[in-house]
Amino acid sequence: MNHPVNNTEESAPMFLRASGITKKYKEHRAVDNVTLEIDQGEVVSIIGPSGAGKSTFLRCINFLEMPTEGTVSIGKESVAVRTDSRLPSRAELAAIRRSVGMVFQSFNLFPHLTALRNISLAQERVLGRSGEEADEKSYQLLKRVGLDKKATAYPGQCSGGQQQRIAIARALALDPLVMLFDEPTSALDPEVGAEVLAVMRELADEGMTAIVVTHEMSFARDVSDRMVVMVDGSVVEEGDPHAIMSAPSHERTRQFLSAVVGR
Amino acid sequence: MLGVVGYIALGIGATLLITASAFTIGGILAIPLALAQRSRFAILRLLVRGVVNLVRAVPPLVWLFLVFFGFAELGLRMSPLMAAIATFSFIAMSYFAEIYRAGLAALSRGQEEASAALGLSTVDSYRFIVVPQVFRVVGPMMASYGIGLLKDSALASTIGVVELTFRAASQAQQTGQGLTIFAIVGIIYLLLSLPLAIVSRQVDSRLRARFSVA
Repeated sequence: MNHPVNNTEESAPMFLRASGITKKYKEHRAVDNVTLEIDQGEVVSIIGPSGAGKSTFLRCINFLEMPTEGTVSIGKESVAVRTDSRLPSRAELAAIRRSVGMVFQSFNLFPHLTALRNISLAQERVLGRSGEEADEKSYQLLKRVGLDKKATAYPGQCSGGQQQRIAIARALALDPLVMLFDEPTSALDPEVGAEVLAVMRELADEGMTAIVVTHEMSFARDVSDRMVVMVDGSVVEEGDPHAIMSAPSHERTRQFLSAVVGR
Repeated sequence: MLGVVGYIALGIGATLLITASAFTIGGILAIPLALAQRSRFAILRLLVRGVVNLVRAVPPLVWLFLVFFGFAELGLRMSPLMAAIATFSFIAMSYFAEIYRAGLAALSRGQEEASAALGLSTVDSYRFIVVPQVFRVVGPMMASYGIGLLKDSALASTIGVVELTFRAASQAQQTGQGLTIFAIVGIIYLLLSLPLAIVSRQVDSRLRARFSVA
């Protein structure tokens, strides 16, 4: 299938490319023609006021939210959605979702499974790893996020910060090409959020590719390679985090930053 | 008197048969009904809602007569026991569909999103994530409906199913000792439902200690 992608310069294939993503609810454009490319090992943070469409855009990347229009390419996979055409097939969705890991604001761990089982299940069912192999990997990842002692605990027996770290391990277990973080610390107390951010920082240092929707400005500034500012469904500014935060060029960015920085 | 008790107790089999069959058949048939209520197609959802509400709006006794006499009218000879099992299965199906629906609604949306984001297939998502959690929510409700079903099965005596209540009634007539006999049959019902109530409570509290579904 040929998709009329704008600017079809045949540059080096980006690691992940979400282009022309639009999400309409009735006539309201929650996300309006947003394009984002990310290279291997890059961490991009998306900031902006509430209701700017940041999370919606992020959720369009792995089709938890079906975009009204747009194309998502990851590695060799490319899935396009157009207003007038079919929805992606199950196989296409599976291919994209296999390459993308997601961490939610509300953790969404499976409450009836132990921490270890939470991480092993999809490895077995989606990647076809043996139980032993999966558990071994899960255990390593729990260790990685500092929670190997919680392997047999149920999510309800873990603090919010611990749950979020388990959720990060669960997403990493499938060896995703790209990780999506949807306001991973918004549901946490600041000091608890810090332990989650510390883990994310380490992972970033180790070369994780990630897109992070966040209100944690210092994290966005210090950890991300690039910052994207979204307002009213559109990208208004994009570039070096330090540059944007010290000298925002767009009026809405200035407003937003003065509201959140020094809060 | 022992002979009378023994005669009545022989009805336990039929009572349990009706209860267990209706519980099982209704519980299984309710699954597609509950799933249909989450369908994308409004017509399907409306249809199922209609059936569920209709069944629950009419008293079980009336349904029992409708099925029993209705099938006879159609020339389909159905034994009273068969008619009772069919009726109670049908009624249980509607209640269970409603119970499952409530259980599915209690499951947070994030659970299915997390399964989807992990790439689990719909079948796997139901098998490993949705059903186990929904069951833990609806288990106690199903158990209490089961106890209700056990008691409702007494209605089958009205169409001539020889179960506990039927036998008690016939003995009461023969001996004139209505009070004693129905006290005995009451105790039998109590003894039958007690284990179910105890087991369900224990399972529930054990699961609750481990985790709670949001």
